[in-house]
Amino acid sequence: MHVQKTITLNSPYTQSCAADRRRAIIRRKVVPWLFVLPILLINLAVVAGPALSAIYYSMTDWNGIGAAHWVGLDNFRTLAADPGFRHAFRNNVIWLAMFLTIPIAMALLAASLLAPVKRGALLFRMTFFIPYVLPSVITAALWRGLLSPDRGIPALLTDLGIPGFDKAFLGGPDTVLPAIGFVDNWHWWGFLMVLFLASMQNIPPDLYESARLDGANRWQEFRDVTLPGIRPTFIFMILMTTIWSFLTFDYIWILTQGGPAGASEVLAVLVFKEAFRNFNAGYAAAIGLTMSFFVGCVIAVFQILRRRGWEI
Amino acid sequence: MRRYVNALLILAIVLVAPAIAVPASRAMAQDTAEVSFWLDTTGGAEGAECRVENAVDPFNALGNGVTVNATLQANNWDATRTSLAGGAGPDVIGTPGPSFAMQLALAGQLMPLDEFAEQFGWNERFAEGSLNLGMANDQLVTIPDEIETLVLYYNKTLFEQNGWEPPKTLDELTALAEQINAAGIIPFAHANAEWRPANEWFVGEFLNHSAGGPQKVYDALVGETPWTDPDLVAAIESLNQMQQNGWFSGGLDRYYTLTEAEAGSMFGSGEAAMKIEGSWFLESVDDYFGEAAGNENEWGWVPMPSASGEAIFDLGIGQTYSINANSANPEATAQFLDYYFSPETQARLLANCGVVPAPVDLQGQDLSAVNPGLAEILAALNEAFAANNYGYTTWTFWPPESETYLIEQVEKVWAGEMTAEEYLQGHQEVFDKEREAGAVPPIPER
Repeated sequence: MHVQKTITLNSPYTQSCAADRRRAIIRRKVVPWLFVLPILLINLAVVAGPALSAIYYSMTDWNGIGAAHWVGLDNFRTLAADPGFRHAFRNNVIWLAMFLTIPIAMALLAASLLAPVKRGALLFRMTFFIPYVLPSVITAALWRGLLSPDRGIPALLTDLGIPGFDKAFLGGPDTVLPAIGFVDNWHWWGFLMVLFLASMQNIPPDLYESARLDGANRWQEFRDVTLPGIRPTFIFMILMTTIWSFLTFDYIWILTQGGPAGASEVLAVLVFKEAFRNFNAGYAAAIGLTMSFFVGCVIAVFQILRRRGWEI
Repeated sequence: MRRYVNALLILAIVLVAPAIAVPASRAMAQDTAEVSFWLDTTGGAEGAECRVENAVDPFNALGNGVTVNATLQANNWDATRTSLAGGAGPDVIGTPGPSFAMQLALAGQLMPLDEFAEQFGWNERFAEGSLNLGMANDQLVTIPDEIETLVLYYNKTLFEQNGWEPPKTLDELTALAEQINAAGIIPFAHANAEWRPANEWFVGEFLNHSAGGPQKVYDALVGETPWTDPDLVAAIESLNQMQQNGWFSGGLDRYYTLTEAEAGSMFGSGEAAMKIEGSWFLESVDDYFGEAAGNENEWGWVPMPSASGEAIFDLGIGQTYSINANSANPEATAQFLDYYFSPETQARLLANCGVVPAPVDLQGQDLSAVNPGLAEILAALNEAFAANNYGYTTWTFWPPESETYLIEQVEKVWAGEMTAEEYLQGHQEVFDKEREAGAVPPIPER
C-alpha cells in the first residue's frame, strides 16, 4: 500500500533536516579549523609575528637593545650601496651554482646505480645517509682536521707526490668557499640520494622493460624513463636547494666566520654580524627581508611556470 | 550531573590550590631577597662552576638575608641581551666588556651605581681611575672585572740554544724575527681559525707600541688626532709586512687554519719561537711545555716590545658587572657585587679558579697558589696602570662597529686588497659615526 507523505515547510521534519545540514556544514568546514587552530596560533606567535616585526624593524635604526626609531627606507638605501652586501650576495650565487650541480649529479648517479641493487641496499643507504644526521659542529670539526695542510688528507696526498695539495684550502681566499662547499656537500648529498632513490623505486618496471624492448641504452633509460619518473621530487629538491642556498650559514660560520678577508661571507653571516657584532639590528632586518624577497622571487617563478602548464 | 559537579570541584581545587600556595611561599621568600646571576659556560663549565663554589656559595652561606641563584648557560651574553630586550634578564648583568655595557647603558637598561659605590667604598677599593672605565653619561653603570693584557711569550730553551735575547724594541723584534726565520724556525705561532677576533690583538699591539705610543692612540680615541696619522699607518704596515713575510705560523693560509692547540704545540715544541698573546694564555701555556707535552722546553715572557723600548702594557677588561635597571632587588644585588669584588673573594677566585681579578688591591691576600707568571704580569700591569703608562686594547676602549671593522678589514690589508691608509681611513669613518652616536666607551684622561 503506497502511503504518500506530505512534507510542509517549517514542519518538524524539514527543521530537523535543516539542522542536520547545518551540523554537516559545521563538521566539514569549521571542525577542521578548530583542530588546526592551536598550531596556527603557535605559528602566528613564533613565525608570523616575528616576521612582521622584522618588516617594522627593517625601517628603524634599532640596535637590538634600546628603542627603535623610524628611518623609513634608509636601511635599504644603505644596502643598495653596500659593497659588502653585493659581495655576500655574489658568494650566495656561487654557493647556489655549486649545490645545484655537484650534489644533485652525485645523488642522481648514486641513486640510479643503487636502484636495481637488492642485496645490501639498506647498508648502502645507511652509509650514505649517516653524514646527514651528524651535527654540523661535529662535521665541521672533523673536516677542519681532515683538510689540515700539515696533518690531514692534503698532507697525505702531498707525501704521495700528488701535486696541488700543499695548501690550506680553508685559508685561501680563492679556495675557501669551494672547500666549505665540499664539506657541506659531504653532509648533504646522501640525503638527496635517499630521496631520489625512493622516488625511483616508484617508477613501474614495465616502463624500463618497454624502453629496453625499443632498444634504449642505459643512458636513454635514465633520460627518458628515470628523470621524467622522478620529476616532482627532482624539481622540488631544485626549489629547496635554491632556497637553502640563500639561507646557508652554519658551516661557513663554524669554519671561517666569513673569512679570510670576507672571501666566504654570505648573506646570513652578514646578517648575524650586523645584528650581533655591530649592533645594527635594523639594518640586519633589512638584509634578512631582502633575502626573503629573493627566495620569494624563486618560488614565484616556479608557481608561474606551473600555472603555465609546466610539469614542475 | 553529580559526576560533572564532582569533576568541576576537583578542577577548581587543582586550579586554586597553587594560587593559595604561592602567596605562602612568597611570604617565606620575602624574608630572603633573591638575586639572579647568570654565568657563561661557553668553552666549558669548569670556570663557571668554580666561581659558584668560590663566590656564590660562600656568599649564600653568610645568611645575611640575600640568596644568589646562579644559572650556568652557554652564550650567556646573547641570552642576557635577548632577555633584556624583552624587559627581563637577571639582576646581575654581565657583559664581555665596557663597550658592550655602554650599549646597554645607552638603552637605559643598567642601574646607576654611584650611590652603591659611595655606600660600599668602592672608590677606595678599586685602583685609582679604574672605575672610570665603567662610566656612561657621567654615571657609574658597570664595574670592570678581569683585567688582562698582552705580552710576548718566547720559547726560553730555544732562545738559549741559539743565543737569542728577548727584544725590547720593535726594531729588535723585527731583526730577531729575521734571524729566527733564517734559522728555519717560524718566528710567531699565531692562529685565528678558532677565534677570528684574534686579529685585533695584533692590530691593537702594533697601534699602541708604534712610534707614537699609547698617547697617539689616546689622541685618536678622543678625536684629537686622525686614525690616519703616519705613525698609526706605519704600525699597520709593519704588522702587514710580518704577515707577508710568512712570520705568523709560516704563512697567512696557516694563520687562518691552525687551531689554538696546533699553534700552542708549535710554540712548545720549538717549531715556532714566539707568541704575542694575552695573559689568559697562562691558563694553558704549561700544556705545551715540558714532559707532559713531550718536550724539555721552558717558556718565558717579556713585555711586548715598543718603538721606544719602554715597557707598555695594553689594558684589557674581560668582563663587567652591572645591576639590571629592572631589578626587583637592587640593594641585595649591590650587596652581592660588593662581596664579589672584595679583595678576599677576588684573591680566592684568582688562586682557586685562575680567574684574573678586577682592578682591586690584593695586597695582604694569600696568593701562594697563583701561577707565578700570572702574578708577575698582573703586578706589572697594575704598576703600569698606576703610572698611567698603559695602552688601549680594542675590545675595551673601542665602540663595537669600529672594533669589528678593525678585526675583519685588516684581513683585506693582508690580502693586498686594501692599503694600511685605506684601512685606517675606513676605520675613521666608522669611528666618527659611533662617536656621534655616543657609543665610544669612556676613555680615562691620561
